[in-house]
Amino acid sequence: MIPVVQRLRRNTELGLILLGAVVTAGLYTLASLGTTANVPVNIGPFLGVVLALLAGAHVATRRLAPASDGVLLPLAGLLNGLGYVWIARLDPDLAALQAVWTAVGITAYVMTLVLVPKARDLDRYRYTFMLVGIALLLLPLVPGIGKTVNGARIWLQLGPLSFQPGEFAKIVLAVFFASYLVEKRELLGMAGHRVGPIMLPELRHFGPVLVAWGTSLLVMVSERDLGSSLLFFALFVVMLWVATERLSYLFVGGLLFAGGAVAAASVFGHVRQRVEIWLDPWAAATDQGFQLVQATFALAWGGIAGTGPGLGNPDRIPLVETDFIFAAIGEELGLLGSAGVLVTFLLMVGTGLRIALAAHTPFNKLLAAGLTAILGIQAFIIIGGVIRMVPLTGITLPFVSYGGSSLVANYVLLALLIRISADNAESELQAP
Amino acid sequence: MNRQIRRLGIGLLVLYAALFVQLNVIQVLRADTYNDHPENSRAIIRDFSRPRGQILAADGTVLARSVPVDSPFKLQREYPEGELFAHVTGYFSLNAGADGVERSYNDALAGHTGERIEDIGELLLGEPRTADVSLTIPADVQRVARDALGAKRGSVVALDPRDGAVLALWSFPSYDPDVLSSVDIDAAQEARERLLADEANPLLARSYRETYFPGSTFKVVTAAAGLASGSVSATSPVYPTSNAYVPPLTRQPIRNFGGGTCGGALPAILRVSCNTAFAQMGVDLGAETLVNTAEDFGFNHAAPIDLPAPAVSPIGDVASFQENTPVLAMTAIGQNAVRSTPLQMALVAAGVANGGDVMVPHVMREIRDNEGRVIDNWEPTNWTSAVRPDVAATLTEAMTAVVEQGTATRLAVPGVPTAGKTGTAQLGNGLSHAWIVGFAPADAPRVAVAVIVEAQPGASEQTGGQVAAPIAQTVLAAALAANPE
Repeated sequence: MIPVVQRLRRNTELGLILLGAVVTAGLYTLASLGTTANVPVNIGPFLGVVLALLAGAHVATRRLAPASDGVLLPLAGLLNGLGYVWIARLDPDLAALQAVWTAVGITAYVMTLVLVPKARDLDRYRYTFMLVGIALLLLPLVPGIGKTVNGARIWLQLGPLSFQPGEFAKIVLAVFFASYLVEKRELLGMAGHRVGPIMLPELRHFGPVLVAWGTSLLVMVSERDLGSSLLFFALFVVMLWVATERLSYLFVGGLLFAGGAVAAASVFGHVRQRVEIWLDPWAAATDQGFQLVQATFALAWGGIAGTGPGLGNPDRIPLVETDFIFAAIGEELGLLGSAGVLVTFLLMVGTGLRIALAAHTPFNKLLAAGLTAILGIQAFIIIGGVIRMVPLTGITLPFVSYGGSSLVANYVLLALLIRISADNAESELQAP
Repeated sequence: MNRQIRRLGIGLLVLYAALFVQLNVIQVLRADTYNDHPENSRAIIRDFSRPRGQILAADGTVLARSVPVDSPFKLQREYPEGELFAHVTGYFSLNAGADGVERSYNDALAGHTGERIEDIGELLLGEPRTADVSLTIPADVQRVARDALGAKRGSVVALDPRDGAVLALWSFPSYDPDVLSSVDIDAAQEARERLLADEANPLLARSYRETYFPGSTFKVVTAAAGLASGSVSATSPVYPTSNAYVPPLTRQPIRNFGGGTCGGALPAILRVSCNTAFAQMGVDLGAETLVNTAEDFGFNHAAPIDLPAPAVSPIGDVASFQENTPVLAMTAIGQNAVRSTPLQMALVAAGVANGGDVMVPHVMREIRDNEGRVIDNWEPTNWTSAVRPDVAATLTEAMTAVVEQGTATRLAVPGVPTAGKTGTAQLGNGLSHAWIVGFAPADAPRVAVAVIVEAQPGASEQTGGQVAAPIAQTVLAAALAANPE
């Protein structure tokens, strides 16, 4: 049975990859026609490279995880291609770098599949992952190698290379939490105290989680990286809830979050400013609110069908290649394109959660749910920020935004989900 | 855990559904509001990339057109006549918006008038029906005005008193609208900042947006007030021959230029521009009569010209002159409380020339769509009825005498009876604005003119006659040739 499923899944994957590459190359051509009125001279090589990169990932998946899910990689490839088209249309220099990062990301994807033949192998290195995660979080605070960019101290500078270790920390800590919570979930799930309808666990079981979570939040706040703080927070609460099956963790987490948000807004000027701009960007349309106002103009100008690739003016938005790339796509592809991006993320989330549901061990289940939550929540935080659903916190749109660390980390995340889905199929075979 | 994972899926689905709703609000429901927001430059950028009609002089000379450029905007405005028509056509700028005809006739030029959609394809494609705007100004008359004024700060306005058509609207210094309208945003911004920093203020259309003391040219209005009130005629009163007039409530006398002595009836005092007599006339008439007549000529209102943001020529209200005869006396000779745009003084001359009716001034002659069909042309309309025809006739006679034997002899167009009035608005530092207003032919006027040359040395009544009159004469002659009966 397995060989049939494998062939079916891999052929589906290949077909979808080809489709995604055609869409990407088509948009790339249109964007070039829009900006320079010429068919790009390198369209042949471009299509070749896009296909080669994704085909490389595909072949690696065929050999290393043949029974894995066949939809995730093409979806990631489509988002990656979509992002690349707009980065190239906005800033060709960044596009060259992004192409290199894509190659690095796909290499990391393959390496992850090689290094992690079974997802359960990760379970063994639980505390190593915890230490690595905390170290990654703390590194930017180390004098000499830490670097502050746009007010956030989340960068590492090593010689000519710079990257954001926090992007990797989220994956590493998700692994640690999956591992730790699976072991302690019985204890954490027991009701120690009862406050009205809400069950609270014993503090000594809950303690380590609280400490790790508080530490990471504190580090985040001191690094001024609100987007990542929010993402970590949501990740921890969600994983805790899924592991313990106790809704009280969601409530308590929500209350903690509300309290923390109010406290942060009253203590930190930059947090309060974000909230004020979120509530009324128009009052500061020419300074602090400029970015949000311009993003709103871009999206509104796009309307339903968009201006067409290369025919809008998204370059008026500061940081459009990274945090605000969604607005650029929304302007030039319209509501159809922006909703398409939403649907793509929803498909990835749905696939990730299906993998979690099908997982045979609690660790795999929780890890798949956690990794999927990272992807879904991160995209929600930044898209919601750009369209003023939630206060804007700088964070990348997975696979789409410019940024090496983000792209490579998300390909690693993807590989782990692929690995878990392959494990699922294999244990189905072994099961009677 | 599966139940939680399913609920997580539902939760994320709800969050993404909320994102989708908000996207619909921004991109569809409220899109028009955001597109029209004043901070939003996308509409200008859109018009920048779209076909746009031409602006043409009366003789067909192209004043503004869109040419293809190698830039994302694809099109750029070009002004082949450069600075010559800058204050008329204005500019069409990415950073500064639009001015002049580019702004007041933007809808026609850009094809946003929304009329005459003739087939469904046009409706679906939204193909803009751009239109060309033809002006009333002949390029050669404008050129003569520029050359006659030369490198002196000031302005020349000529118009047809019969229908208000502007024949020349020049002021110096001017600017090149090409750079401001460039698709090279940095270059355009730099050019704009340089113009804004220029002490001579080349961006200012002095012709219709700057006001000056009108000096003795305003005596035409004072005389009109006297004639209209019935207390002054061509023969009476006879003002005392004097070298000083002391208005009530002050001991400061008003003197004649150069300390001269003058007096007599209206034609005599107008001919030599007698300050003492006109100051006394103003005081005798009273503020109400003087201000009402000035307002009938258009003062205290912005001239309704079809260009953006024309300035008001103020004279103050009647109450401001109460118990203040010294200011009233000074105002009657064009100083102190009264200021005028060159356009407004041209309208005074035009009103007298047109039997007392001031026509609405305009630069648009007709608008043609991109297939050459006339979709709009100017219907001459009366702006104000300033004075009765008999008053206008008396004034014309007196002003003709000013050109024949008075201070404005240099205004005379050879072989054509010409009417005029000089003015010298003293600035109090040995400098004065040299003015002249006039029209010709005096018996059947076709052109009215006003010229101001700023801050000329000297403070005699001769200044206007010597400096401004020859400029006006050249322009009158050219405009008469270009504007036959």
